[in-house]
Amino acid sequence: MKIFSNLAIYQIKQAYISLKQQPGFVFSVVSTMGVTLGALLCILTLAYVMLIKPLPYPDQERLYNIEHQLVNHGDVDGSAFTYPNLMHLYKNQTIFEKSALLYFDGAVITSLPSEPMAEVSFVTPQWFEMLATKMAVGRTFTNTEKLNSYNPVALISYEMWQTEYDGDKNILDKKVSFSGISFQIVGVLSKDNVELPIAGPSFRTKIYIPWDFNTVSDRDRKAWGNDDGGLMFVGKLKANLVNNQSAQQRDQILTNLINDNWQVQVSDHNFFKGWSININTEPLKSYIISDGEKSVILLLIGTLGLVVIASTNIANLFISRTAERQKQLAICAAIGASRKQLFSGIFSEACLLMFVSIIIAQLIAYIGFSALHHFLSDYLPRINELTLNYFSVFSSITILLLLTFVFSYVCLKMINYRVLNSTLQSSGKGNGVQVSKSMRNILIISQITVATVLIFINIVLYKDAIKLVEQKLGYETNGIYSAVLALPNIERSLQAEPISELKKALLELPKISGISQSMRPSGFGTFALTTEADNKRFSISGKDVDNHYFSLINQKIIEGDSFSDADIKDRELVTIINDVFAKKLAPNGSAIGIRFNNGSRVIGVVKAINIPGRVTVTPRFYYPASLTRNMLLIKLHDGQSLSREELIPILKTVNKNFSLFSFSSLTEYKNRRLFSAITTAITTITLTIITFLLSGLGLYGILKYSSQMRRFEIGTHLAIGAKRKDIIQMIIKDNSTALVIGVLLSTLILLGLYIGFSDELSSYISSQLIPLFIITLGLISLVSFLACYLPLRQYINNPAIHSLRGSE
Amino acid sequence: MSEILKMTNISKIFETEELETHALKEINLVISKGDYVSISGPSGCGKSTLLSIIGLLDMATDGEYLFEGISATELTLDEAADVRNAKIGFIFQSFNLIDELTVFDNVALPLRYHSEQLTNKAIKARVIECLDQVGLSHRITHKPNQLSGGQQQRVAIARALVAKPAILLVDEPTGNLDSKAGDQVMELLNSLNRAGTTICMVTHDPRYADMATSKIQLLDGTILQAPSAKIIR
Repeated sequence: MKIFSNLAIYQIKQAYISLKQQPGFVFSVVSTMGVTLGALLCILTLAYVMLIKPLPYPDQERLYNIEHQLVNHGDVDGSAFTYPNLMHLYKNQTIFEKSALLYFDGAVITSLPSEPMAEVSFVTPQWFEMLATKMAVGRTFTNTEKLNSYNPVALISYEMWQTEYDGDKNILDKKVSFSGISFQIVGVLSKDNVELPIAGPSFRTKIYIPWDFNTVSDRDRKAWGNDDGGLMFVGKLKANLVNNQSAQQRDQILTNLINDNWQVQVSDHNFFKGWSININTEPLKSYIISDGEKSVILLLIGTLGLVVIASTNIANLFISRTAERQKQLAICAAIGASRKQLFSGIFSEACLLMFVSIIIAQLIAYIGFSALHHFLSDYLPRINELTLNYFSVFSSITILLLLTFVFSYVCLKMINYRVLNSTLQSSGKGNGVQVSKSMRNILIISQITVATVLIFINIVLYKDAIKLVEQKLGYETNGIYSAVLALPNIERSLQAEPISELKKALLELPKISGISQSMRPSGFGTFALTTEADNKRFSISGKDVDNHYFSLINQKIIEGDSFSDADIKDRELVTIINDVFAKKLAPNGSAIGIRFNNGSRVIGVVKAINIPGRVTVTPRFYYPASLTRNMLLIKLHDGQSLSREELIPILKTVNKNFSLFSFSSLTEYKNRRLFSAITTAITTITLTIITFLLSGLGLYGILKYSSQMRRFEIGTHLAIGAKRKDIIQMIIKDNSTALVIGVLLSTLILLGLYIGFSDELSSYISSQLIPLFIITLGLISLVSFLACYLPLRQYINNPAIHSLRGSE
Repeated sequence: MSEILKMTNISKIFETEELETHALKEINLVISKGDYVSISGPSGCGKSTLLSIIGLLDMATDGEYLFEGISATELTLDEAADVRNAKIGFIFQSFNLIDELTVFDNVALPLRYHSEQLTNKAIKARVIECLDQVGLSHRITHKPNQLSGGQQQRVAIARALVAKPAILLVDEPTGNLDSKAGDQVMELLNSLNRAGTTICMVTHDPRYADMATSKIQLLDGTILQAPSAKIIR
């Protein structure tokens, strides 16, 4: 054992001394592998945290999210709860031992001098029991906050305690107020709490309020047909049901419970004939990941591809280095080193290099975690749990050993021990160290296959993303701001006057060119509409806007009229629809004049707008907004800008009760919606370029080595009269089999992906993929050609003797 | 006898950053049809360099070189390749056969690069004729590594002959052979010359150098001794 360890230390020392003399080689290996392995570790850890790591809550595998689907003749119309159904489920279900209702909203906190906007979660007490929430101060909600107790208390997050109250020790003496109600603070959540990102990764609750105070209106609390995306139900499955009940049985029991009651409740609503409710239960762990899974898997495939390409390149460097060391290896063999001892020498060197690479990789991964945290924490769930952990250490050691073995094996395969032994005797002639043709071909095939697959996938994703980014919206965003106002202390019916005064005050500012009392263009609600003449039913997106809306955002009216002053003032029953809806209503004629069951009549048709980040354009309608509408669109003259700080004093001058709930430019909204598309476009184009460069360098390396090996052969061809183009053709022809196999393999992999994931990939599959594939093959062919041609230049652009010298 | 090549004041200098090596100094030489010229001298005297320049494998640094009346110093790399293909046959010390190709394909190779496209039938006939000349027509399907050294050199001779060159340039043809195989190869070269083939051979073996009808001795890049008729003074 001691002898072994002495030998190992000796060999590592020798490896260190030998590598010290090759700084270029060490730098190439360590930098390439350090960066790519760092990226791999980062994405592997991300995949582990998002896809495998259990949620940090007790019995997390028993926690379920309940999805409520409104089904219209077999098609899912909406996936959100109606308030009465949610309450029915909460009161009558028997499957979960604990359950919680959740509603997510935002509020302007009027008890704080800066009146900040804060995310508010309305919850029932068992929410905290299920997640075993730890408190820094005070208590969680208990029976005193149970349903219909209307106890005005609040919990605040640790962050809010620190930022808004400076960590005040007497926090439990404070109150937090919004929407005209004051809530006594009874607890502060602990710093170590990991918030469950159930309302999306960007929603970070600042205040928890008992369920009773949720902001759903009294009317909607009784409306069996109005679904609301903010309503949620989470349950902890009874332990005895985990193995005794299938997911289908569970869903069926809950569906029957809700649907049977709902059918009775909506039996007199003609609109809901043929509709039903479907309930799905999904483990919380997978529910909160939802679309994130796709992104992580794509990132993982991309990074793995890069690692394969980088490893092939580095394998090639190892090959060249072993070839250079032929004499040294021969001397070792001559003085009695066995094949195993030669291997362990090479292994020590590879191990040392991979060890340094993996250390650098940890640093790169750490930087990657910070970058992911900074840029993606609002878009991917559980990013805040990302850190170097046991999994990343285990992965690092596995990668270290795997790559060390691969590189050592490749080098060992080159060494013909028997020939090596006779190398010195035959005064330096003979080739004891050589890469076999099959090994060269494997290297070429793997480069081509991985590069083709990666470049093609990246080009497809890039094109898809850039289409979204460059898509014309059909409305203006430049110089337009959206403001959401709050008037907590004034009754809703009395809010029209102060809002009207505010509009006047704003229009007096020289930089403001127009005001519309409407919501930003990309936000819509879902409504039920039935045509009066033929009873056609539509579940459709719509919103309330004023008479200035279409002209302010420059949305084109293509038929009929916009709303008039009188339409808004008297809230006339008139409707403007988009051309997509018009086509549905009147495929062959004009939709103007069509009436709906609620009494409204179509007076105009507008060109449909595209919502940033979305591909499909859906039917939509617009109806007159109330004069109490608390949302404003503010349009500025060219080159002007407006800040929150400028706006608040104006609000307070008009009426001190005004608060600014939110304020952003339409461009900011657009960029936020396009973030994912822009990130995808940048990531994919970067990956394409890196893949292109890495695979180009890799192929160049392999073919350069191959040309070196064939130098005398090339010289002979030149000597007997081959021209330059003959040599280029010969090298291309010799490598074409490997290139073609690489392309075929990549095509098979892509076809496999297409067949295996046809549902997930359906949105990407189109005939346009063919030209994209041809472009990919063109790029790969270009890289391959350059990789064939460039190493040949030194032979074909010099007199033939240059290649033949030394052949004797 | 008609002149195949004529060298006037040919020099070759190899330059590195610190050193300038004069490999050939003002060489004047004429080789005519049917000649059998040997070039000999000690290692490093410039034999192989001279042979490379004669064979258009390398360019002279200075001087004038006419090959069949054409100025070889002005040829591009591809034009030189054409001349080599049509007019010059090479025989190397290490045979330089291509291991992946059969004997037939090795011999046929120059015809594949020929400016005049020959039919497969014509190629086959010519290759077999050449292999007959060297006594190896029964080995056409073999690969070079299945042959002895002497046989490999005879395949290389057949390859050199296949395009009916004006001159055979032979570089130490026996260097990698045992004496028996070496003698056989030299005998083959002699018989080719007797049949009219022009040969220019580099060798350091005086016994083989004596077989040539004209002998050139090189020392330190200059011609030391040669039949007066061959050297232009």
